[in-house]
Amino acid sequence: MAIRQCNQLCFYQKLAILWMFFSGAVSCMLVVSSSSEVEMRGPSHSQHSGARKYIVKSYFEKYENLCDSSFEDFMAHELSSSLCQVFPDNRNLDVRLSVLEHSLVGEGSHCHLSSSIKLQIEADSIPKLPAHFCEVIIIQRLPLGVFADPFELQHLHERKVFTNVAVFGDTNLELPSFRSNRSVVEVHMDAGSNIFSEQNNGLEMNIELPLHARYQPLDESGYSIVEIGEPDVLLSCSMEGKQYNQSCLFMSPNDSAKSRIGAVAWRIPSGMKAHTGFVSVVTFVTAFLSTLSIVVTSIFCSGIKVSKNMKQS
Amino acid sequence: MTSLKTHSIFLISAIFRVGLILYGEWQDAHMEVRYTDVDYLVFSDAASLMASGHSPYKRTTYRYSPLLAFLLIPNSFLSRSWGKFLFSASDLFVGLFIHIILKQRKVPEDLCTYSLLIWLFNPFTFTIGTRGNCEPIVCAILLWIVICLMNGNVLQAACWYGLIVHFRIYPIIYALPIILFLDPCFFQSGVKPLLCDWTSDQGKTPQINSEVTDQCDVWIAFKSIFTRSRILFGLVSGSVFLFFTGFFFYLYGWEFLHEALLYHLTRTDPRHNFSIYFYHIYLNYERELSILEKLISFLPQVIVQLVLVFCFAKDLLFCFFVQTVAFVAFNKVITAQYFVWFFCLLPLILPWTNMKLKWQGLCCILLWIGAQTHWLMWGYLLEFKGKNVFLQLWVASLFFLAANTFVLIMLIRHHNYSPVFRRHAGSKTTLKSE
Repeated sequence: MAIRQCNQLCFYQKLAILWMFFSGAVSCMLVVSSSSEVEMRGPSHSQHSGARKYIVKSYFEKYENLCDSSFEDFMAHELSSSLCQVFPDNRNLDVRLSVLEHSLVGEGSHCHLSSSIKLQIEADSIPKLPAHFCEVIIIQRLPLGVFADPFELQHLHERKVFTNVAVFGDTNLELPSFRSNRSVVEVHMDAGSNIFSEQNNGLEMNIELPLHARYQPLDESGYSIVEIGEPDVLLSCSMEGKQYNQSCLFMSPNDSAKSRIGAVAWRIPSGMKAHTGFVSVVTFVTAFLSTLSIVVTSIFCSGIKVSKNMKQS
Repeated sequence: MTSLKTHSIFLISAIFRVGLILYGEWQDAHMEVRYTDVDYLVFSDAASLMASGHSPYKRTTYRYSPLLAFLLIPNSFLSRSWGKFLFSASDLFVGLFIHIILKQRKVPEDLCTYSLLIWLFNPFTFTIGTRGNCEPIVCAILLWIVICLMNGNVLQAACWYGLIVHFRIYPIIYALPIILFLDPCFFQSGVKPLLCDWTSDQGKTPQINSEVTDQCDVWIAFKSIFTRSRILFGLVSGSVFLFFTGFFFYLYGWEFLHEALLYHLTRTDPRHNFSIYFYHIYLNYERELSILEKLISFLPQVIVQLVLVFCFAKDLLFCFFVQTVAFVAFNKVITAQYFVWFFCLLPLILPWTNMKLKWQGLCCILLWIGAQTHWLMWGYLLEFKGKNVFLQLWVASLFFLAANTFVLIMLIRHHNYSPVFRRHAGSKTTLKSE
């Protein structure tokens, strides 16, 4: 009997080893046939040699948390040194960036923030410029109560939806709204090469940013309204040649275009304070009743002496 | 013929799991909704970090032992599906161990086969491993511990137990029943304990095995608690646990202790889950709960665990099962992956139940699934439709607890209490014939 069991066990061991070998072979097949392996997670970095670093990273090197007023100051003043100089031969070159549409797509706690960006380049004549590569930078400031999942965005980057993407600020995925801070998403999208070499060039692009709602503070109405403003949009260009040895930025001339669209509102369910008392009481009473049922059943049905004596009495 | 059937079951299960893993890879690459569990991505990232010489805890939400990241290092250089194959292999090992345990207790072949099918073809279980969840490893180790104990190998059982508690905290709930199980009546020096075999006489309502209980009841167990086996088990498992914990604390510091251990001990999640406590926690999250409130929410769990242990410790597998069901049901956070913890034990108690599938069994199954589906419906409305249904969702969690309680009570009432071991016959010790 013992020998038979031992043989059976040996057979099972062999079967397991065979299965593991088969699995390993299939794994190797997957390695050969699959696309490039996933690299280490974290904020993506641009593949292009001339592309600038993340703009928002500079902000968070100076400030601990996101504040709208300090961020607008940062955008207006700190980035001025990075703006592209007017090209000597092309004084009438006009670059305009605007947000055409800004809306929330989807329902519930997981939505997509859809933004339609228009890039318009107008010039009296085709400028003479060296080869250049440009990307549109979209900076979306998120309010309290909403967050972007950096790992989800990384996945989109791998699927080539974005050229680069990173989240700054509070990236904790689990904390409720009242225990978290704000965050900012910076997205880079390819605007193409040599876009200034064509007269009156225009480009429209649409981005959909997946966002998730945090648990909201309690509210009597049962809902919390979270407003998400328009993104800041810039154009970053890198040009070859001695004169242009690093990338520079184009920004929208004024903020008047922004105020036309306005913020989108996201209505998120929240707990109601009025429920606090009776929910706690009923929860504990239910737990107690369940406990009592299980304890009584166990004592009466188990094989211990005490239950026999209790039954007999 | 019957062994051929068992081999076929394992082969089909293995092929099915490989197929699911390959399908999962296809779905991840071609559809927006992934097949792979989010946790698997967390493990893989942590493994990549470890392979590069960094702490796995640099990956946010990685709250497991570094051992798990270590096991998945081949994800980085072999294939990103390595972990899934490992977990699915563990899944098959669970099936193998179920078969071994039932065979050792002389359960008839047809019952063994049905029990095996309940594990290997349970939709909860085969998706867990193929989606990249690590619970099958824990289940496999737990059942191996049971096999070691059944064969009187206390030292090996203790080593694996220390490891499993380090790996996943929840098996600590089995410490007390194992200690009680290591009864000096059965665990004698140099003598292999005798197993109680399954018999065909299982049709009666709960039997009270007076031969065992009169002689070796709880009171005597309490008095003779410090026996060689118990001390050995406690010391060895404790040492193994402390060794791994200490080693990883040396490597990764407080971050390891906090993320892998303390987080699980103190976890309160206000986000919706199956637990009846979620809404209470959310409504009170902005203020600190008092000591009394924390104690009140902890008491049901402690009381139920203690009572179940002292009532059923000798029938170890049944004790593990009811403890696990109760532990999950009364926990402050319940997610679907926790169900695997008791699903691996369910096939091991079914041969000893006199509950018929028609209609008591079906009633329990439908009630449990129905309560879960009911909760999921409200959860869907809250999370994916943005409706304020917190109250309804909380009520659904109360129903789910009620369903768990009902199923537990039914299983207890219809279980034929059957201690794992029996005493050696007279003074002439007869070794186990198998």
